[in-house]
Amino acid sequence: MSDVAPQPEAAVAAERLTKRYGSLTAIEDLTFSVAPGEVVGFLGPNGAGKSTTMRILSGTMAGTSGCASIWGVSVALNPAEAKRHMAYMPENNPLPEDLRVEEYLRLRARLKDVEAGKVDARVNQVMEDCDLVRRASGRLIGQLSKGFRQRVGIADALLAQPKVVILDEPTIGLDPHQILGIRDLIRSLRGQMAVLISSHILHEVEQVCDKVVIINRGRLVAQGRTDDLRRELLPHAGFTVVTKASQAELAALCTAAEPAATVEDGVATDLGWTRYRVVLPAQSPAREALATTLLSAGLPLREIAEERYGLEDIFLAATRRTPAEGRRS
Amino acid sequence: MRHFRTLLAHELRTALLSGNTWASAALFLALMGGIHFFALLECSRAPQPWTPVEATFRLFWLPLLCVLPLLTMRSFAEERRSGTLSALLTTPASTAAIVWAKFLAAWLTWAVFWCAFLVFPWIVAARLGTGGDQRLSDPATLFGGLCFVLVSGLLHVALGILCSCLTRSSALAALLTFICLLGLTAIGGAMDSLPIESWSWLGWLREPAAHLRTFGHLQDFAGGILDSRPLVLYVTGMMLSLGLAVLAVEGQE
Repeated sequence: MSDVAPQPEAAVAAERLTKRYGSLTAIEDLTFSVAPGEVVGFLGPNGAGKSTTMRILSGTMAGTSGCASIWGVSVALNPAEAKRHMAYMPENNPLPEDLRVEEYLRLRARLKDVEAGKVDARVNQVMEDCDLVRRASGRLIGQLSKGFRQRVGIADALLAQPKVVILDEPTIGLDPHQILGIRDLIRSLRGQMAVLISSHILHEVEQVCDKVVIINRGRLVAQGRTDDLRRELLPHAGFTVVTKASQAELAALCTAAEPAATVEDGVATDLGWTRYRVVLPAQSPAREALATTLLSAGLPLREIAEERYGLEDIFLAATRRTPAEGRRS
Repeated sequence: MRHFRTLLAHELRTALLSGNTWASAALFLALMGGIHFFALLECSRAPQPWTPVEATFRLFWLPLLCVLPLLTMRSFAEERRSGTLSALLTTPASTAAIVWAKFLAAWLTWAVFWCAFLVFPWIVAARLGTGGDQRLSDPATLFGGLCFVLVSGLLHVALGILCSCLTRSSALAALLTFICLLGLTAIGGAMDSLPIESWSWLGWLREPAAHLRTFGHLQDFAGGILDSRPLVLYVTGMMLSLGLAVLAVEGQE
């Protein structure tokens, strides 16, 4: 292990990565990076090319063109060295059914070049970290629940203290308690190792990741911190307003405060109250004073609330836009 | 090398604990016991040109075709089906180390099967005592025959490993191995019975073709002739098969 080697700028780097299966292009011109110690969410709809990208990065599949490197080492030119810096947990986490958890982890530790004298200590440590010691260490993997199998996969990934961990859908099929456990575990890795994690549970990714990379149909459509992406992809602020005023009255007041404001068709709720959606530019000064403006005009107002855009909205906006827009951004 | 040792130990342990290995061993011993019993029976009825041990070894192709495919079919096919091969390839262990470890484990298991067969001639010798015919369990014939099946087993097991690399289905891998071994045995048998030396139209191919005589090799080994040419043939075939197996695994993953 090259512990004394200087830390590279990017723990994971994909440069113009392309994979074609005959006439089908799985990923094309994918360029992104993960900094050392950073936790990055890798998102995309089904069939977007996430698993293909992760398999190329892990060295289990060759790309058609482009360059993938782990801790500064090219995966294609020096796969054995790249694999020493990296651990990969594939989607659906295949494990041998007929081995006990402890035996399996010992085998993996030896294959991952953990020093012979430290194998026991590392196995015990990761089993402790992944809460496997009491309930699973001596059991056959084939008898474990889905949650424990995922923990075994993550314990395996952490065994050799790699610089980079790539996790393909680590929380798939888990119950909320198990998801919380995995989330805490991944959080604890921040700063120690770079983590690239793909998941369909966007709330989880938002909770855990420093940055997200979003791909669609094999092409990069957005990457960056969620706040930056929110500003970039959702350049407006939405408000829910419940009032007895008509759409025209509300629109007149809103456009007086902000000429670019729009009021969408309302939905009648009860007793003459109607729910409207008011949209303002995100940077408009009227955004801060909308409630005051409406109240001071004497508008009968029951509720006003600013919509909070989550990663789900960012994801939907990003996957709707074209790859060219993604590259420009 | 460290990875190879770790993988080999794991493969041997897996083979030891696998029900498939024990079922294959039972089938092998039942088959060989039956063959040896009938060979003894034939020899007891009338004088034969072969000793019972020679006659048994001459039917080596029967367990080869029936048991060896069962032994090698799961080595890669099952791991590819379950996805554990992908997980194995994410470690720094090379594909060559993985292929060689699986091959050597299967070959050692095959060798143990054949060594276990020696129990039958030993039982016969023990039952008859010093008064029996020494040809019934001639150590030289036994040693020579064993050498032949182990040396030719290098190629046969490597072919089984190669076939297992080509598919995700263990049953299909067994069928492919069976077809390859049947073809190899049939060619070897045909070369023995055909007058190749008189076929001048074969030109320079006559001599290499003559070296493919599988049963001739068995006869040589059993007769105490340790010729290096069959050894080269089987080792070269083994290397070629394992090289192709490495390429197949790397290509598919």
